Amino acid sequence: MVRLIRSSALTWALSYVLLGLAALAAFAVPLWYAWNVTIYSGREAILLDDAQRLTDVFNREGVAGLTAHINERVGMQIAGERTLLLTDDAYRPLAGNLAAWPQGIPSNPGTHAVMADLAGQPPHTLLVQTTLRGGYHLLVGRDLSRFLPLERRFTWGLFASVTFLFVVGVAGAILIRRELLARVQGIRQSVSAIMQGDLRHRLPTARSGDELDTLSQTLNGMLEHIEYLIHGISNVSNSIAHDLRTPLAELRSRLEELTLTRPSPAETFAEIEAAVADVDRVMRIFSALLRLAEIDSGARRSGFVRVDAAAVAAEVVEFYEPAAEQKGVVFSFQAAGEAAVAGDPVLLAQAVSNLIDNSLKSVPDRGAISVRVGRRADGAVEIAVADNGPGIDDADKPKAAERFFRGDASRGTPGVGLGLSIVDAVAKLHGGVLQLLDNHPGLLAQMVLPLTSAPP
Amino acid sequence: MKILIVEDNERVARFVTRGLREAGHTVDHADNGREGMFIAASEPYDVIVMDRMLPGNIDGLAIIEALRKSGNRTPILILSALNDVDERIRGLRSGGDDYLTKPFAFGELLARVDALGRRSIDSGAAQRTLQVGDLRMDVLSRRVTRGARVVNLQPREFKLLEYLMRHANQVVTRTMLLEAVWDYNFDPQTNVVDVHISKLRQKIEHDSERPLVRTVRNAGYMMTEHG
Repeated sequence: MVRLIRSSALTWALSYVLLGLAALAAFAVPLWYAWNVTIYSGREAILLDDAQRLTDVFNREGVAGLTAHINERVGMQIAGERTLLLTDDAYRPLAGNLAAWPQGIPSNPGTHAVMADLAGQPPHTLLVQTTLRGGYHLLVGRDLSRFLPLERRFTWGLFASVTFLFVVGVAGAILIRRELLARVQGIRQSVSAIMQGDLRHRLPTARSGDELDTLSQTLNGMLEHIEYLIHGISNVSNSIAHDLRTPLAELRSRLEELTLTRPSPAETFAEIEAAVADVDRVMRIFSALLRLAEIDSGARRSGFVRVDAAAVAAEVVEFYEPAAEQKGVVFSFQAAGEAAVAGDPVLLAQAVSNLIDNSLKSVPDRGAISVRVGRRADGAVEIAVADNGPGIDDADKPKAAERFFRGDASRGTPGVGLGLSIVDAVAKLHGGVLQLLDNHPGLLAQMVLPLTSAPP
Repeated sequence: MKILIVEDNERVARFVTRGLREAGHTVDHADNGREGMFIAASEPYDVIVMDRMLPGNIDGLAIIEALRKSGNRTPILILSALNDVDERIRGLRSGGDDYLTKPFAFGELLARVDALGRRSIDSGAAQRTLQVGDLRMDVLSRRVTRGARVVNLQPREFKLLEYLMRHANQVVTRTMLLEAVWDYNFDPQTNVVDVHISKLRQKIEHDSERPLVRTVRNAGYMMTEHG
């Protein structure tokens, strides 16, 4: 029961039932008031007028005149419409259509308007009592019973509405609560599964885009990102173990060999220089990993500005032109006008630079590299770097952007295997993707950055 | 030059001190922030090399800010293990003049210290004309001549040459060139800077002319009158 009360769905539904009841009351109370004023108060005024007229007759013509007048009116009257009674000071009837002075009428002199049930007469009669000179009592009444069915219908209608509102409200609340509880339960089960370590689990999102569904989808996006980060972390620790160990082992054996063999000074210095180069290589891996961590954290997004991707790419191309020229590579650049995105110019430059760097390393002498920046039909900006080098095997393409991955073709070339990872991370930071396609022959690497550059 | 090093790591301090002395500089060393602050405030130096993480959880940036507030304008090179772009910006904003990430090659440190010391000597002199040997550059009209010969340069080549000439007789490293000429703070894996330099040399050093740019092994480049 406590859980039933604590359910927010139920609380909301019950609040709405109460609100409905309040609305009904706000409708019924003025109506009842208006009814009372027009029916009762209006009738009372008419009866008081009538009593005043009869009093005038009494004052003019005396008891005999009034008796005759009343008898005449009773004779003419449609039965039950008007109740008239004239008695002497001992309440003995003198004229009128009532057999006796009714019980429960206040006997004090003056004019009163009271409701009374008359025995033998239809109940619900509005009576005005007047005490005349000489102790005579006059009763003038009006039967209101023909309004009773209307009143009753109104009351029943009101009651039925209240009952209907209440039943439907409570039933609805219970149903909504059950439905919500079932879906929340589903989400909770999924989250429990995720907390127990199954990161591939996702929240159920079968239903059609309502609020809970939207929430689930957003949470799923978050889970996607968390899984990606966790995956990245475990990947990095594995890769550090593997890829840093190799140069460190090399360095260690180099130094140890020096202490053991104690070669000539010239040879020693050559070995020391090689050792420094080993350390530099480890450092490069480290700074690339740190850079990746910085990008992955998303912190750089706060520094996003409006960047013309075409201008950034043009500068990087200009930067690499002499190197391409030296290698005899045909290097071309095309941009279809301005390609503005919200982004980090330095990171975008680094990404383009990494792609060109990769291509420069892989193309044969007198190869060709082309860089294109354009806007796609859906408004996304596309930065493409294509070469005619050996490309990447289809089987390796999904893995190529993983940290420390090095395809067979690149084994012999310098590099630490983090270039494409950085490009991929930069694309993701800008809400886009890195696509690796076949250039027949060669590699076509393109970064697609959506127009809005929303966070992933 | 007279240089102050504020660095708590003994080995790094010894390495830097020895290297700078070998390069002909006078070096003082403080191994904590308070002493560093005291020495820097009491004696004039040409360059201060300031570590960021100092004993007692003192941030070198706080010391730099305090020095700047007291009117000290000595060029400061910040040493830091923090390599975020934001950290670099924070360092320069606090009043530092250059930022070098640990670990570093000594050649890089020496080149940057030299550049900073030079800046303090001819501070603020935005020279209109630069000259190294018979190579002349008019910065405003962007005209470069070697003897009587006019040298035609692309805008980026002009910027590269201007930087080399402004730092004539000093070693400039590839990283310094990347930062100053291209505004890139990442490390391209291919030797792109070297290619740019060799292309520039083809334009300013014809066969009959004396070479002006020299490659300094394990460090970078140096432009001198005598090549």
